Amino acid sequence: MSVVVIGLSHRSAPVGLRERFAFAESSIPDALQKLRESGLVTEGVVLSTCNRVEIYAATALAPDGAFFARVKKFLVEHHAYDGTLGDELYTFAEPHSLHHLFKVASGLDSMVIGETEIFGQLKAAYELAFTHKHTSARLNKAFQRAFNVAKHIRTETNIQRGSVSVMSAAVELAEKIFTTLAEHEVLVIGAGETSEKTARALQSRGVNKITVTNRSPERAAALAAELGGRSVPFEQWPEEFERVDIAISSTAATHHILDRATLEPLMRRRRHRPLLLVDIAVPRDIDPAVGTLDNVYLYNVDDLQSIAGEYLKLRHEEAARCEKIIAQKVAALLAANQHPAMAGHQ
Amino acid sequence: MAWFTDRHCFLLAVACYGVATVYSLFLWRRGFRRDEWANYLMVAAGVALHTLAMAKRGMTLQSCPVNNLYEATTFLLWALGLACLAYSLLPRFKFLCAFTTPVLFTVGVFALMPSLDPPHGPKPEFSGALRSLHAATILQAYGAFGLAAVAAGMFLMQQHDLKFHKLRALLSLLPSMQRLELITFRLVAVGFVLLTIGLAAGSQLPRQDGKPYLFDIKVIWSMLLWVVYLESLVAYKILGRASRRIAVMAIIAFAFLLLTFGLTNRFSPLHQDNPLPTTNSVASVTGSPLGTRHPSPVTRQ
Repeated sequence: MSVVVIGLSHRSAPVGLRERFAFAESSIPDALQKLRESGLVTEGVVLSTCNRVEIYAATALAPDGAFFARVKKFLVEHHAYDGTLGDELYTFAEPHSLHHLFKVASGLDSMVIGETEIFGQLKAAYELAFTHKHTSARLNKAFQRAFNVAKHIRTETNIQRGSVSVMSAAVELAEKIFTTLAEHEVLVIGAGETSEKTARALQSRGVNKITVTNRSPERAAALAAELGGRSVPFEQWPEEFERVDIAISSTAATHHILDRATLEPLMRRRRHRPLLLVDIAVPRDIDPAVGTLDNVYLYNVDDLQSIAGEYLKLRHEEAARCEKIIAQKVAALLAANQHPAMAGHQ
Repeated sequence: MAWFTDRHCFLLAVACYGVATVYSLFLWRRGFRRDEWANYLMVAAGVALHTLAMAKRGMTLQSCPVNNLYEATTFLLWALGLACLAYSLLPRFKFLCAFTTPVLFTVGVFALMPSLDPPHGPKPEFSGALRSLHAATILQAYGAFGLAAVAAGMFLMQQHDLKFHKLRALLSLLPSMQRLELITFRLVAVGFVLLTIGLAAGSQLPRQDGKPYLFDIKVIWSMLLWVVYLESLVAYKILGRASRRIAVMAIIAFAFLLLTFGLTNRFSPLHQDNPLPTTNSVASVTGSPLGTRHPSPVTRQ
């Protein structure tokens, strides 16, 4: 009995093809039932997300070319796919199948390396198969080990560290300046999508006081209502600087809406409390000279993108460490499968 | 083991601080990225040996070991090291040790100079408890000021990195600027309270005739420090002075304290090593540069 994988992901197939092979969650138990009844596999788990569609299975058959061709045929027929397939569909037998499973669980095979959403998705996929009794000893052990490896990698390496998006970089900056975000008010200048996302990211980390301002008061009021904050007329937003500690600016203005001369007296009124200014507008809303003021921390979209890029680079560097850990864990699992009596010592 | 004196113990403690300092440089170069205990454990080993050194000296003297510049300096460093270990247990404060070890090491090496630990003369006959309270609280205050300077250094580094968009600000496992600012303020406040108690206790100590308390150079120097720290606390809390300026002040004031501490002791008539000849006690002094350089408690009736 060995574990095999067949599937396609963002690495091998475009979204058009991935969506053709995607499984609706409700259809997965039946699909697994059909697959098992075909006699190809004895256990199975289907993972279907926007970035990958994969079948993890345990089979008593020899996982050779003929075997994978039959599973591939099953997939094509199940989805009534009438197009051609080349290298988009990949297949793995042991030990590569386990290596792949551990990599997926750890987020190493994800589009944004190190992301953790896939861990939850894999867990849900496994639980669905487990609940419908489509898994048994082999896959149970492989998946449990995969979840343990993912947790181990998360705690022992820096694969997850850092913000890889502009929004999360802004949140991380705020957390480096302020101890708890709950005590600090955020001013959102411009009711655009990016500023909304950044405000939401800040809310997810504890911010609960948000003020929105926009040239169109209706849009400001609508966004404020969505965020559970309040709106102020666009002409009055400089007055808010006495209270707010974080400002996100993303207007369509073609000139600077905040300059040093305007902010300098406001900083004195703030008694020099630190102020984080996040300028995600292009062209920029805030004069770069503002950043030279004491206790003002100004970041524009390029700065945030550069932070996200650096973090991504670091995650790729850390991936090599993770691969080593995974190789060790796969070897340990295979050894445990060969010598079950030793399994408790792994 | 009779040859193994308190100074040997302190030498080992300074060696631990030295190793920790080298390791701190490594951590600094790596950007304080990994949360780890190695540096903390090195400082803990140093503080343990340091405590042993002070305990040995204290037990021999049968009093708090704050009788000469060596003892005062080691007491100050001990307070600093102990406070550092305690504060390092706060979340994200483990790297406080990395910032403190250079101070512990350099001042520790300075304290080991034999001239700072001259043989003791006879002891003055006044309340040991009050003198111990005076010396211990003042030296603990200096320890608190030292740690405040270290936290202020961390604050300034974080501020610089965030201001100039250095990735280290985000990658390092250092506390937020707001937290560092709060810790700096609290340590200055604690140090100020201890200094006030110490100065008040000092004013109650018996003095030789003709040695006025308020005109002693050491007392004037301490009062100057007291005023500087008071001004900082008031300016920060009441006048809203920028935290950066408070941090810079904490560092400058502590640097001034360290650089002038020995000098003022030397020129202070109230703080000489042989302040009062007594009629009923005499000391026999023994020791090598690393040996115990305190009097044997021999009493002549």
